[in-house]
Amino acid sequence: MTFSMKRVMAIFNKDLKDLSKNMYVSTSILMPLVLAAIYGRMADELSIDAYYLVINLAFTMTATFIQCAIIAEEKEKNTLRGLMLSPATVVEIFSGKSLVAFSLTAVTIIVSCLFMEYNPENIVLVAVGMIVSTLFYLALGTLFGLLARTVVEASVIIMPVVFLFGFGSLIESLIDKYPFLSVAEYLPNMQLIDLASKVQAGSGLADVWPHLGIMTIWFLVTAFITIVVFKKKEIDA
Amino acid sequence: MVEQMIKVKSLAKIFGNQPALEDVHFEVNKGETFGFLGPSGSGKTTTIKILTGQLIATSGEAYVFDQPAALLNKPQYRKKFGVVTDNSGLYDRLSIYDNLKLFCDLYDVPAKRINEVLEMVNLGNEQKKVVSKLSKGMKQRVQLARAFLHEPELLFLDEPTSALDPANSKHIHDGLRELTKKGTTIFLTTHDMHEAEILCDRVAFLHKGKIQLLDEPKKLRHQFSDASLQVLLKDGRELLLPGGPEGAQTLYDYMQADQVVSIHTNEPTLGDIFVEMTGRELV
Repeated sequence: MTFSMKRVMAIFNKDLKDLSKNMYVSTSILMPLVLAAIYGRMADELSIDAYYLVINLAFTMTATFIQCAIIAEEKEKNTLRGLMLSPATVVEIFSGKSLVAFSLTAVTIIVSCLFMEYNPENIVLVAVGMIVSTLFYLALGTLFGLLARTVVEASVIIMPVVFLFGFGSLIESLIDKYPFLSVAEYLPNMQLIDLASKVQAGSGLADVWPHLGIMTIWFLVTAFITIVVFKKKEIDA
Repeated sequence: MVEQMIKVKSLAKIFGNQPALEDVHFEVNKGETFGFLGPSGSGKTTTIKILTGQLIATSGEAYVFDQPAALLNKPQYRKKFGVVTDNSGLYDRLSIYDNLKLFCDLYDVPAKRINEVLEMVNLGNEQKKVVSKLSKGMKQRVQLARAFLHEPELLFLDEPTSALDPANSKHIHDGLRELTKKGTTIFLTTHDMHEAEILCDRVAFLHKGKIQLLDEPKKLRHQFSDASLQVLLKDGRELLLPGGPEGAQTLYDYMQADQVVSIHTNEPTLGDIFVEMTGRELV
């Protein structure tokens, strides 16, 4: 069966309508926006770490949390089974379901950047980094949504993710004291900060591609695990 | 030769140490309404899950559309069948129309079909109602409407009218007859014996994971009938006459004397037969 954009858009439109009536989930995009507005008034020019504290929080609160809540609710209400039994393929279901969180993430990050007056030296490279990051955080949200049984459970199990990836840059300050934490430098949020710092210092693709590569590996591994988990959930024990 | 939509041979499913199905055999012919009857926990839903590729059998064979049932999990087969189970979910915050519109787009069915299926389930004027405001029975009718949308070749219905009042059940039954006239095969699980009697061409009694009986409802009633007659006389007495020459002679005498108001065969219902077979009620 071929890929059907009509089916993807049907799921996207349904989710958009559904989310617009779900205040519990849709208000989660406010936190990074409020933080961006506060930061934007604190100084004329913020540090890269400050910009990316807000941007990484936007990734976890919109891409990951909203995606996780959307999937968990489909499971809780037994509507995911209806989609699985329809002619929609796995790729169509998850493309449709990811489009809403992807769009909201894009809007949240753009508005946050405007509030903070963040102007990257090379907007294309930073945008590529952010798109790869968004895909990773969406895959992570999907995975946790599949593992959670209810929306409430999803909002609890997602907390460590929000802390690790949203406030991960705080870990960096502890690396001198606890050297084993240096592995945190390979986290996708830290890689995005490194990429943005280099871009701001005038580096080009040749200097930042390892960061893009590491982020892509994070996305591919998470997407693979998500597909394996979905396939297991598709058929009952 | 009759085309078979479902073929099941020696099917078994064990959950942990608990057998849910044991050595189950049956076939469902194209265009027939096949009733799978049994009390809660007898293995009806497990069978539907195996036949729709949602569950893997422990042993045995299950074929649907001449393909192993596990393949029904593939998107190319999903347009050919529909499923309604008691846990088929709806999107609570959306209207009935929006719920059905999603599935119109997924099955590539024109949106005008929404009106038709809502009429079939007696919800023609309720399109704009939000699902969270519906009663359990109305939600069940929306689930049925959703399954009717793409006019599937094969429809699996798990207790489709369990939450409905008699008037709405009749409406659904009429809709199901309409579908079978168009060639849809229906695999119906129910513990409503009346529903099974009026809808099913053949029924199978499932108890403790095993099929105890399988035949046409009429033949089963004859098989379990003792041929006795219930006779109401003009003086108000009710007689139970045995079958055979002795009963026939008594009936003849009363008829000669113009004493008979009514005569009824004393055939058991499907429920009576089930109780006789298994020693338990169908609940």
